[in-house]
Amino acid sequence: MPATTLEARDLTKAFAGPPLFSGLSFRAEKGFLAVKGRNGSGKTTLLKILAALAHPSSGSVSVRRGAEELSGDARRLAVGWAGPDLAFYEDFSAVENLRFLSRAGGRPAGGADLARRLEEVGLTGALDRRVGAFSTGMKQRLKIAFSLLFDPPVLLLDEPMIGLDTDGRAIVERVVAAKRGEGLVVLASNDPRDFASPDQVVELGK
Amino acid sequence: MGEGEKRSAGAVRRVWAICAKDAAQELRRRVAAASIFFFAATAVTLVSFAVGPFGLPSEARDRVCSALLWIILFFCAATGLPRAFVREEETGTAFALRKVVSSSLTLAGKTLFNYLLFLAITAVTVPAFSILLEWRMGSVGALAAVVVLGGYGLSVVSTFLAALVARASQKNVLFVVISFPLLLPLLLSAISATIEAAGGSSPATALRVIVAYDGAATCAAYLLASAAWED
Amino acid sequence: MKILKSLLLPYMAAVIVGAFLWPAPAQGFIGESSRIVFFHVPCAWTGALAFLVAAGYSIAYLARRNPRHDDVAAAAVRLGLLFAVLALITGSLFARIMWGSYWNWDPRESSFLLLIFLYAAYLFLRAAVEDPERRAKMSAAYALFAAVLMPFLFFVAPRVTSSLHPQTVINPQGKILMDAPTKAVFFGALIGFTGLFFWMLSLETRTARLDRVAASRAAAR
Repeated sequence: MPATTLEARDLTKAFAGPPLFSGLSFRAEKGFLAVKGRNGSGKTTLLKILAALAHPSSGSVSVRRGAEELSGDARRLAVGWAGPDLAFYEDFSAVENLRFLSRAGGRPAGGADLARRLEEVGLTGALDRRVGAFSTGMKQRLKIAFSLLFDPPVLLLDEPMIGLDTDGRAIVERVVAAKRGEGLVVLASNDPRDFASPDQVVELGK
Repeated sequence: MGEGEKRSAGAVRRVWAICAKDAAQELRRRVAAASIFFFAATAVTLVSFAVGPFGLPSEARDRVCSALLWIILFFCAATGLPRAFVREEETGTAFALRKVVSSSLTLAGKTLFNYLLFLAITAVTVPAFSILLEWRMGSVGALAAVVVLGGYGLSVVSTFLAALVARASQKNVLFVVISFPLLLPLLLSAISATIEAAGGSSPATALRVIVAYDGAATCAAYLLASAAWED
Repeated sequence: MKILKSLLLPYMAAVIVGAFLWPAPAQGFIGESSRIVFFHVPCAWTGALAFLVAAGYSIAYLARRNPRHDDVAAAAVRLGLLFAVLALITGSLFARIMWGSYWNWDPRESSFLLLIFLYAAYLFLRAAVEDPERRAKMSAAYALFAAVLMPFLFFVAPRVTSSLHPQTVINPQGKILMDAPTKAVFFGALIGFTGLFFWMLSLETRTARLDRVAASRAAAR
């Protein structure tokens, strides 16, 4: 399987005012790309643009497998994302949420597969509990599970450690370590502790 | 199965998954159905007190009742159908949806759900309406056809516009303002067709217009879904 | 545009003078009321033209994401609203003179009323969205959705019932039943109003662009 590349060309984003960032370009293939910057510097917006959840004001983002540029469903499946704005259906359980999202995404996951994924983020005890009753830390773990749902070659994590206890942090670190070996991890955070020897750094707000 | 067929079968399953999820949410909370039901009950009761006891000549009765019926159905739609998208935006689940599935399929799934909800409401409201207003229906089959076809157009347009208002302010007023000019041709045709059905004649001409409208609205909604719902 | 503006002033003056002095009042109309065709029809024409312009620029915006295209589309709708209202008012005055009442449920009259509602709905939608990029995209989506459903608006209503509208321009024979001076002033007025529309569009677009730039500068401070 050829490597999946993430490339940003001349990205600019403005919300009715001066640009949050402009002329941003980078290319990443394998490993760990750290996105640094103070609060409000545009990290969340950048990651959303990379995840195709938002459009840049100008510039482009491309996700390529080998020479072929991915679009539509292929791109959606190739890029996993978790961020502060992500939320789940509170009336459903963790399993029901992931099952629905996997079906909606066109790759329905079976009960055993879902149980395994939830176990990997330490939510085994809460499989059938309503997400509405989850703590912040539990919701954060579910977000991590969601980002990995389609085993994407590119993983975008926006502030993944929020609300997590020591065990939770360890889970995220494990996920990042595993993914950087076989694909690309892009991690945005305020906290320098979250960046364990990145291969590339993008700094916003400069 | 060829690639194309596999893709379409997959798309249908995904649309169904979205519709089923909305239905499951609705069954747990019943907010949309309850609000539509209470609105319809109030409106029908009010109208039947005002119009029912008075002996209108049958032609006038057909006209008045048809118009009132579709006005009530329009406002039922305005009350209950936008929730499909508004709730996703308000609770923040919209991001998860946008991440895994295209806007067009999401719109299709929610339109299907809204249409089924609308049919369920009309199954109760229309008979209650005709009973309370002592409105004799010439051809029930024709009336059913008008409701099924007209209701589809109403659902497609309402769901598309719901995607727009979900990310705007003053959602309720906005929805009525932007849906009225677009739905008027459909409502007028539906009203004429209902008058004909009530009189026992065939509403074929009006139904043809409704079907054309339904087709045009479906294509336009599918193509413009991402412009309406994505950033 | 400057040339257009300087030509437009004497041209429109000539059209107005011509409208009242040159052709004789038409047969079958009460008094001088037929002269309204020189103003009413061009207003209606520009009111509808505005919609085509808005739809075209909406497509352009969705294709290129250039904010200037959104400025033009919104400006076209605002002007369309103005001209459509004028068309409705002039038509209504004519109706009062000819048939004694301001409103007659004439299908073309009603279609224009609906067009006005549509323009107003578009502007209402814009007012309800703050973020400029989102607002532009959503307005374009609405405008194009409406454009697809437009034929139903204009042809469902007028299709069946016979119209009170005088048949001098749009009629089953497909001919224009006017004498030469009337035809000259009529087409002159049509061209003049179209020119007027595009000139006002350029002004309105420039104002909209300045507003947009000023707003983003204000947000920067």
